Amino acid sequence: MRILWNELKKIFTWKTMLLLLFINSVLYFLLIEFYIEYFPNGSEVYSYNIGVEMVEKYGATMDENEFIDFQKTYEDKAEEATQYLQSREDAVGNGLDTYEKFQAYDWQNSSQKASDLQGDIFFESEIDLFWELQEFERLIDFYNYRKSIPDVLTDNQRARLNELIAKEKFGVYTEIAMSNFKHFIANVGVAILFSVVLVISPMILKDRSRGILPLQYTSKKGRNLLKTKLLAGYIATFLVITGLLAVYFSLYSLNNTSMFFKVHVNTFIANESWYDPTFFQFIMLCVAAIYLIGFIFVTLSMSFSNVVPNLVSLIGIQIPFIVGFLIFGLSRLLPYMISVWNPKWLAPVSYGSMIIISFIIVYCLVKREKKVDVLM
Amino acid sequence: MLVVKDVSKRYGDFTALQQVNMEFNTGLYGLLAPNGAGKTTLIKMLATLITPSEGEIQYNGKNILEMDEQYRDLLGFLPQQFGYYKNYSPKQYMLYLAALKGIGKKEALQKIDELLDKVALSDVVNKKMKKFSGGMIQRVGIAQALLNDPKILILDEPTAGLDPKERARFRHLLTELARERLVIISTHIVSDIESIANEIIMIKNKQLLYKDSVEKICATLNGNVFETTIDFDYLEEFRKKYVLLSEKQEYGKMIVRFIHKGAPEMEWNSVPSQLEDVFLYEYRDVIEGEE
Repeated sequence: MRILWNELKKIFTWKTMLLLLFINSVLYFLLIEFYIEYFPNGSEVYSYNIGVEMVEKYGATMDENEFIDFQKTYEDKAEEATQYLQSREDAVGNGLDTYEKFQAYDWQNSSQKASDLQGDIFFESEIDLFWELQEFERLIDFYNYRKSIPDVLTDNQRARLNELIAKEKFGVYTEIAMSNFKHFIANVGVAILFSVVLVISPMILKDRSRGILPLQYTSKKGRNLLKTKLLAGYIATFLVITGLLAVYFSLYSLNNTSMFFKVHVNTFIANESWYDPTFFQFIMLCVAAIYLIGFIFVTLSMSFSNVVPNLVSLIGIQIPFIVGFLIFGLSRLLPYMISVWNPKWLAPVSYGSMIIISFIIVYCLVKREKKVDVLM
Repeated sequence: MLVVKDVSKRYGDFTALQQVNMEFNTGLYGLLAPNGAGKTTLIKMLATLITPSEGEIQYNGKNILEMDEQYRDLLGFLPQQFGYYKNYSPKQYMLYLAALKGIGKKEALQKIDELLDKVALSDVVNKKMKKFSGGMIQRVGIAQALLNDPKILILDEPTAGLDPKERARFRHLLTELARERLVIISTHIVSDIESIANEIIMIKNKQLLYKDSVEKICATLNGNVFETTIDFDYLEEFRKKYVLLSEKQEYGKMIVRFIHKGAPEMEWNSVPSQLEDVFLYEYRDVIEGEE
């Protein structure tokens, strides 16, 4: 236990903590801040508000009767809009005295006066009602097209969409919370990946390059120390990931999306998935995936750390793996890991393979260390 | 006690040691050879840091690699290049190593104070090692090797960086330690071990050359070591004819110490051979090569 504690102390130095703080400050402002600071972004606020009302009123799903109620709400609001238009002389003068006319107007070839009216309603006076109505219309459109299936699909995708339709799991709730979370978690994934790799990867190399191995390996503990170092690396990874997730999710809580937690992922617009966890369960799934990605990359880092001659090569050798993962893997294996637009097998097979490879790497590392000549 | 049995070590095509056999018992053994002769290879095999390509090393009849931690528990080791954490104090570092050696914290703290006092570092127990001189670091290294009260103490070039006073203190410490344990010191500095080693081991051409007492090794050159005074102009020619051990200028002439295995000349004085003479004689090619 003392040995493990010593190895952990060697990882968590004040320099490491500063490095961690620096990396995360930079990556937070570059990648993450936007999704906290600007949520809902601009007119998305209407979508968010309507979404919250829908969840409060209809619960996690919206059946046909509830949709009728939803449409009724829309009609009431449209009536309010009509009354508003009739109260404006410029609207009546342009023949736009009802919301129906306002909506059906050919805005592409509008008169200057009509265009001024529209500009005033949406951008100068910022009449919320008209923005809300647009969002209502978008949601009603999605509801009306809920049973339609795109042409460009594989057989498996088509089967899954048909299955969702048969189970009446339609994507009719505003996707804004889900979409924001997906962007957020992907960028948190990037920050955490860089953090764990930079903090953990030098740990084995440092002892080797400082020439401490001869003393360590001739002690009673001997070469078994590598196992303790690996364990310390995994514990440190767990602590770093947990700490960072705690910080990032505290910030995420400012987005106030908890009312959507009970909504199933397939209920959000354009979010068809192979499985149907709730939003909260999906968040937990992403958290688990981040831990997994962290452990896998730390295994890779520690194995390189045990082989390469110096820190520069250690960083250099990891760049292709990390960049490759960020380009090809991160999105598919984190925010879109259960999306129907990726093959169903992709995430489980990828994670499964990476876990198996990690185990093989650890096994080979320990086996190699038992016999390797310590020449320096 | 500790037996090196038909041990060879190869690195690819390069052979570092070939068919080496030797035995060690309680006492102090000096492993004496020039740099690159295979001292460190042998030392590292004795310390289980490298594995013999052929043969085995046994302790009380058991292969040391198979004994695993049981063997390492008996071992104290100071490598040639002694690594440490710059921001640790000697106490912190030795506590870390004590944990690796399986020594309890309480016991370790007591032992650390005692050992750091022994190597004259009790004033800097809590100072960061990054401020230490080479000699102080080396003394920490010596202290750590003694932490587990080892039965086998292996020191690779332990006096590197020590000043004459520290060397003398170190020799005294070693003599004391070697009374009840096996101490193996690798060095290329003859004076470090000449006066204290029970036996000297010399390796040449990848094989064991001598493993004997200083007296017996010196006796191999008895009657062959001479001193004489020659003209400076004759020195070059003299160098070509004899194996020169030392040269000293005095009153415009040269006093030379050399080896000659044939009949001596009248003006030569036969002198008792010393370990350094044997060292210089046996490794003369290497020495010339190094020059």
